[in-house]
Amino acid sequence: MYRLAAKRLLHSLGTPLSNSSSARIIQFPPLRTLISHSLFSTTVNSEPFVSQNPSYSHSSTSTADHTRRPRVEYQDEQAHVLQAALLHVIRLGWSEAAMIAGARDVGVSPSIVGSFPRKEAALVEFFMDDCLQRLSDSIESSTEELRSLIPSERITKLVRIRLEMQAPYISKWPQALSIQAQPVNVPTSFKQRALLVDEIWHGAGDDTSDFDWYVKRTVLGGIYSTTEIYMLTDNSPNFGDTWAFLDDRVKDSFDLKKTIQEATYLAEAVGAGMGTSLQGFVKSVFRG
Amino acid sequence: MALRTVTRKLGSKLFPRFSPASLLHSHATSFGFKEVREEEKSQMVGNVFSNVASNYDTMNDLMSAGLHRLWKDRLVSKLNPFPGMNHLDVAGGTGDVAFRIFDSINSIKRRTLQNVLEDDLQEEAKVYVCDINPNMLNVGKKRALQRGLGEDKSLLWVEGDAEALSFGDNTMDGYTIAFGIRNVTHIEKALSEAYRVLKRGGRFLCLELSHVEVPVFKDFYDFYSFSIIPTLGELVAGDRESYQYLVESIRRFPSQETFASMIADAGFQKVEYENLVGGVVAIHSGLKI
Repeated sequence: MYRLAAKRLLHSLGTPLSNSSSARIIQFPPLRTLISHSLFSTTVNSEPFVSQNPSYSHSSTSTADHTRRPRVEYQDEQAHVLQAALLHVIRLGWSEAAMIAGARDVGVSPSIVGSFPRKEAALVEFFMDDCLQRLSDSIESSTEELRSLIPSERITKLVRIRLEMQAPYISKWPQALSIQAQPVNVPTSFKQRALLVDEIWHGAGDDTSDFDWYVKRTVLGGIYSTTEIYMLTDNSPNFGDTWAFLDDRVKDSFDLKKTIQEATYLAEAVGAGMGTSLQGFVKSVFRG
Repeated sequence: MALRTVTRKLGSKLFPRFSPASLLHSHATSFGFKEVREEEKSQMVGNVFSNVASNYDTMNDLMSAGLHRLWKDRLVSKLNPFPGMNHLDVAGGTGDVAFRIFDSINSIKRRTLQNVLEDDLQEEAKVYVCDINPNMLNVGKKRALQRGLGEDKSLLWVEGDAEALSFGDNTMDGYTIAFGIRNVTHIEKALSEAYRVLKRGGRFLCLELSHVEVPVFKDFYDFYSFSIIPTLGELVAGDRESYQYLVESIRRFPSQETFASMIADAGFQKVEYENLVGGVVAIHSGLKI
């Protein structure tokens, strides 16, 4: 609940990306300090060059316009541009054109698009972050409802909530996937997917951190991605086929889990049996 | 290493009064390693560029082994021009950067023509080339004619000072200055002018010869710039002095970090720089919000 409140507050400040549960949520790339070296080219992307003289807001003597305006952080402005650009995605795709149109909408020079190092990827990643945020909000607000469901249904429901968010963009989603799959974007998109799967497991009430942790996340990641792909070619009304498909996959995996469990028991039993006979054999050898 | 010491000794012998600290408080400024009165610097820089204007491009190609073309391409690709943009290229008299921006805008236009609603991005792009030196502008205009852009309404040639631009506040989407800011008497003034003319979201990009810190490469670079370039200037352009000024002014220019903080002080955000060829040139960029 506090997260929802905090989010509203942050929204009003114009930072939809910031998050109170920041440990688990990815930070917007420009916030970090990146220094990459190659032999003859060094890029420094830095925050240290902040003006040493932050007295902008209270210099009233100056006549220039910009000195009177309170300092706005560029990350906020970039987020506004991306938010506005999402409205143009259906028409223009996940493209620079959509970002330019978004910048025009919020009254910022489209030149700002050049300040995103990976252009379209920034737009897709912004959307992913936004969806994750909305997903955790809906988990917050429907805890009771979720608790009444059995685990497999919880998973189904959460995956469905998340995938429904990209339903409006379904005609352009293949493009987004191809952007995410570009080698330079893979690290971020992989991380975002990991966070998403993590969020879904947390939402489903799974807070364990045993060996299963990896298995669970890998399996859910697989289910999520296959359903996402299935959805691309689903023409049934309201993606009915997709949800049926999702249901089956989740059930399958829970069955698989049971099967694995049974196999383990069997192996243990066999092992125990073998152990006993081996013990008996060794004993008989030594006795003889 | 020996070479560097030699050049340093030579420098201090020739210009014994040189000391950076003293410059901060006097009304003198630097002209290469020489200290000159502020009023004189622009005059002297003016002379340099009047002298070299005709051979400017040949010399650039020779001195940088053609690399300056790649650097300018990199600058424009960082700028990311878009259709309908108002761009100001300062100290770009020969139009090198302006033509590249122009080409880039036109190619983007062609690329997005099919899927962009026409009413949205119809406005005509305008690229202003501003230079303090009419001789350099003439070179640029001549080249525009050769490229068949002589009559183009979206390429405008303006004679003006980077420290006192003749453009209104918040009018430009982009501002570039390639190999120019070094020659400006007050860098801070030029930066605040850049900030003034840019719109919100507008970007400042500066391509400038900068400082090399890579150990062995630095020695080679020092040797190259103090021994070969002036000689080359004498042979090709018949003007040793101007090229001596060039290499000295590079050494007097603030380091990448210092210049970046100067840009931030002018009010820009997201200030970054990229070193090319180990710092022979650096591209600084800033965003106005």
